[in-house]
Amino acid sequence: MTKKIMIVDDDPVIVKYLENIFKNSGYKTCVARDGSQGINIVKKENPDLITLDLEMPEEWGPRFYRKLSKEKLFKNIPVIVISGLSGNQYAIHKAVASLTKPFDRDVLLKIVKDTIGE
Amino acid sequence: MFKKILFATTGTPSCDAAARVAFDMAKRYNTELFIINVFGIPSRSFSQVITDLRTGDEIDLHDDQLVKIKNKLERRYQQQIHDYNSPHDIVLTDGIPHTEILRVARKKEIDLIVMGARTSTEENTGSVNRHLIGSTLQNVARSARCPVLIIGRAAASFWGGISNIIFGTDFSKGSSQAFEFAFNLTKMFNASLHIFHAIDISSGPFEFTKNQEVIEDRIREVRGMIRKRYISKMEGYNDYEIDVWEGIPYVEIVKYARESFADLIVMAHHTKKMAPPEESVFGSNVEQVVLRSNAPVISVNHPARQKK
Repeated sequence: MTKKIMIVDDDPVIVKYLENIFKNSGYKTCVARDGSQGINIVKKENPDLITLDLEMPEEWGPRFYRKLSKEKLFKNIPVIVISGLSGNQYAIHKAVASLTKPFDRDVLLKIVKDTIGE
Repeated sequence: MFKKILFATTGTPSCDAAARVAFDMAKRYNTELFIINVFGIPSRSFSQVITDLRTGDEIDLHDDQLVKIKNKLERRYQQQIHDYNSPHDIVLTDGIPHTEILRVARKKEIDLIVMGARTSTEENTGSVNRHLIGSTLQNVARSARCPVLIIGRAAASFWGGISNIIFGTDFSKGSSQAFEFAFNLTKMFNASLHIFHAIDISSGPFEFTKNQEVIEDRIREVRGMIRKRYISKMEGYNDYEIDVWEGIPYVEIVKYARESFADLIVMAHHTKKMAPPEESVFGSNVEQVVLRSNAPVISVNHPARQKK
């Protein structure tokens, strides 16, 4: 079954870029433009993995993750932080990885593959 | 509650995380923002020659120099100033940093001072100092009449609003003042308040540290103390949790903040005098929490010194 990746990011350019990377590698995608939309989309789409930006206009990544971690069914969905902020590796301590923008596409795909498979 | 914020900065990367929080907070809560940069210490009284605090060089103080410093500061925070999109006041001054920060805070009737844990100079003076809180911050936190919001690590600057506040108590007189502040903040932001105490088992008598039953009796006793001292004053506000853990207090607070995704930790700062660096490798609990925590820390000073 095709794995689904949810992209949480407010930057349409990054969203498009990530969608292309994942789709070209055989993954399905869904998108939340902000942490505040995120939980509803997680419930609707039940993704296998989430890529999460930290700084977003309405609700920041860590707050979204806090809500996610309270959801019994979804709290163990692996999260990859992708952010331009310094110190992003410390923002969500249970994240499987943290990448700083600009990031290497192959590194991202390797992490995704190692985490949820192809 | 916060009408005026003073962001104290050296204009160097060591203050970037604090800048992120200061600007975000000012924007989010529609607050007046003052930025202070103490750029140098006069080499002699009334001297126009100052020692630059970033480089250590002696420089001649003239109007061009001030414009230069101001431009540099505005360039550094260009994006944040643009996003904040409200008038802000930059105060440039020479002098002893903590004295000037406290003076401006008093003069402008500041409600909250925001600053990093260390200056760049302090960060560059060896690995031991990286585990110590800066002397400017120590002095400001000891003497400020308003609370001081401290961002110790870049990780503590992922702000995005306040909805989860930890109040760490040691049941001191200062903690009562800190509780009042934490509770007002909780009500204002309609947040969750976690009242937390860590029983110190690192320094107690051997019988105490050995016997888990004794520790658990103490935990029950402390929970009762929290109900009596704090919950009774919460006027029916019921979005709160009480947690009492045993361990090394600052380690437990840092762990608790991480596990409960705290946005903010409020603690009392009641150290009366500054310990010399060689004696303060471990510092006070609040100082260690500042340096280690993933959340920003608000240090609330002794009641007698608080702004009325």
